[in-house]
Amino acid sequence: MTERKEISVALAGNPNCGKSSLFNVLTGSHQKVGNFSGVTIEKHEGYLDYGSYRIRFVDLPGTYSLTPYSPEEIVTRNYLIDERPDVVVNVLEGPNLERNLLLTTQLMEMNIDFLAALNMIDEVEEKGISIDVKQLQRLLGCHIVPTSAKKRTGIDPLLAHIVRVYEKDIEIRKNKLSFRPVIEEAVDEIAGILRREKDLQSADTRWLAIKLLESDREVYHRVQQYPVWVKVELSLQEAMREAAKLYDSDPEMLITEDRHAFIRGAMKECVRFPEERKSTATDYIDMVVLNRLLGLPVFLFVVWAIFQITFTLGSPLMDMLETLFAALSGAIEPLLVNSTLRSIVIDGIIAGVGGVLVFLPNIVLLFIGLSFLEASGYMARAAFVIDKVMHRFGLHGKSFIPMITGFGCSIPAIMATRTLKSPTDRLATILIIPFMSCGAKLPVYVLLAGAFFPPDVAANVMFAVYLLGVVVALLSAKLLKSTVLKCDSEPFVMELPPYRWPTLHSVLFQAKIKAMMYVRKAGTLILAAVLIIWAVSNYPHSEEIDRWAASEASRIEESPLSAVDKKAETESLEYRAQSLQLQHSFAGRVGKVIEPVIKPIGFDWRIGIALVTGLAAKEVVVSTMGTIYALGQTDESSAELATILKNDPSFSRATALSLMVFVLLYIPCVAAVGVMKKEIGEWRPVLLYSAYVLVLAWLLSFVTYRLALVML
Amino acid sequence: MYMKMSELKVGDKAEVTSVKAEHAVRRRILDMGLIKGTRFKVLRVAPFGDPMEIFFKGMYLSLRKSEAEGISVHKIGYAGDGMPMSCDKEGRSCCGEAL
Repeated sequence: MTERKEISVALAGNPNCGKSSLFNVLTGSHQKVGNFSGVTIEKHEGYLDYGSYRIRFVDLPGTYSLTPYSPEEIVTRNYLIDERPDVVVNVLEGPNLERNLLLTTQLMEMNIDFLAALNMIDEVEEKGISIDVKQLQRLLGCHIVPTSAKKRTGIDPLLAHIVRVYEKDIEIRKNKLSFRPVIEEAVDEIAGILRREKDLQSADTRWLAIKLLESDREVYHRVQQYPVWVKVELSLQEAMREAAKLYDSDPEMLITEDRHAFIRGAMKECVRFPEERKSTATDYIDMVVLNRLLGLPVFLFVVWAIFQITFTLGSPLMDMLETLFAALSGAIEPLLVNSTLRSIVIDGIIAGVGGVLVFLPNIVLLFIGLSFLEASGYMARAAFVIDKVMHRFGLHGKSFIPMITGFGCSIPAIMATRTLKSPTDRLATILIIPFMSCGAKLPVYVLLAGAFFPPDVAANVMFAVYLLGVVVALLSAKLLKSTVLKCDSEPFVMELPPYRWPTLHSVLFQAKIKAMMYVRKAGTLILAAVLIIWAVSNYPHSEEIDRWAASEASRIEESPLSAVDKKAETESLEYRAQSLQLQHSFAGRVGKVIEPVIKPIGFDWRIGIALVTGLAAKEVVVSTMGTIYALGQTDESSAELATILKNDPSFSRATALSLMVFVLLYIPCVAAVGVMKKEIGEWRPVLLYSAYVLVLAWLLSFVTYRLALVML
Repeated sequence: MYMKMSELKVGDKAEVTSVKAEHAVRRRILDMGLIKGTRFKVLRVAPFGDPMEIFFKGMYLSLRKSEAEGISVHKIGYAGDGMPMSCDKEGRSCCGEAL
């Protein structure tokens, strides 16, 4: 077979223009998902063999423009400039052509080889809109191919045109968008100055000049390092003065207005709308969904439904996985003779990775729900409904759904913050999510509230703990956004896209990506962390305790007890030995070392140990306490542990309350910390955050403990 | 009547006369096509009274009142006045007759 010629193609277009659907149709199953370097924006790549060509597609993030404000825009622009794809396909949303053409005008300025896919052409026809494609081609200076990703039409002509553009077999002459004279003069002058700089001669100086006049900060930084900057700056100032004198405006505004004027002209010449605009499905749906009175109930219902789907539907699946891992342990246990190896495999690896993988059903279900909301168009509306409340705490309307998801599990919640565009909004939301009390903390509350309060009060105590979490989350957000994360909040100038039925493929695909990401994480960082926690709670291992246990065991064996009593004695001995080993281990020593620090909030070294092992997963706090008190397998419904705690003189109601507050607020489980690091991309904020929550948890536990001592 | 966009009522129709805001916000507003001369209609405000939703050039756009404060407008109509909501001054429709 002869070698295929490779063509690199980038798909660029507005959000909601059907770009991703088109990408899916084009590349089918030959896809892979990565990240653009340095940012958590997903990069979808795929290829297709067409004739003697292999066409490699990259799906760039959806953007309205190529200014350097949002990460999406920066990624798109840098990709076009640095990677120089052979052909750019500008995907246009046919029914909303006018707004889509802004990006096209900016591509025209960039002097790249591009063509346009006039997508959703089926909707255009349905709505009775007529578009003069021939004339539009002449004006935009590029080939235009009508397509419909949904109906899979126009795909072959699109591929044929990609090849033609690549082979320079084109009939349409590139068109230059010209601005009003005052701008054109300034552009020419600045471009002329830039050309005198040797390093910039190969660059597109006209484009640089336009960007400078638009006060584009990235281009500013780039040009400022050259000596010609002095002259450029003078010209820019002159242009500013002229714009102010002639139009009472500035060059950036004039350039934007000229682009829009060009688009308006093109629309007038080439597009005919039906005389009467019929109300669309979107109009009708929004009359209910965004209604002043109904908007909030609808929103709350949707959030409730997502929560139910994720956690109610997910929990039987979670139980099944748990059973599966337990069965796996059971099956492997007899095969491993060496007790250390057995402990590593069963208590370390299977328990650790299993404990992380059981969340997988929740994650898949949540992301099926969320990507349905996102693709259908409701997500933007949810943000619209709740933004006022969230904005009061410095957050964005879109922060709400991830926060609520945090009540189930922080991990999918943190991953769900990807819908937030501004890095600071996103960081703030990620950092407050663990305060939303997750499902794994519930066993701790159930045990403690159940042990120390009568049933009717216990429920109120637990509710108060949840409420405290929400209050701390919102206040922390406010604190973060008014101090370290003060700068550039995302403006709420946001399109509410028309409602559309998402394709099953795209919804499932999104869920699959998230699931894969999580599994990969569980296999590496989280596994390592869980193994470390396993190691510190098992080592160093005391031979002395082993010897003591062995001698005790033989003493029981030789005693004149009945077989049943012997068995009970042996079991209790085993638990006591485990308890002593745990105290002897690093975790036990840490517990004892930190005792002076946690004494003021009512904890002794035993709770200290449980807090250390609780870093693996919050429900482990309960089972560790069971081990320390020399009990067998313990969970929150264990009446035995509850009774022991109640009768322990060092454990009071005040201790219980203080511990609940501490568990609510202190460092989340390693899995959540791992995902946090992955989503933020750096360790520093994660470590600072860990310090912050430790201090905060201590302070609030202290207040709780002291108040409770006085009042109860 | 000249006023700020944030002062408009639901159903009001107006034309943008100028956009002043912090640089990134202004850029976003301009990129969305909300420039001098654009005509729009205020569709609704959110249940808590903020943000607001407007309709123009076939697009539904939401923005906070604090962002709408920087947009000066010329009010040209109100709900139920029967005035066609064309998108340019010559009365040519860009999205058909409006709501």
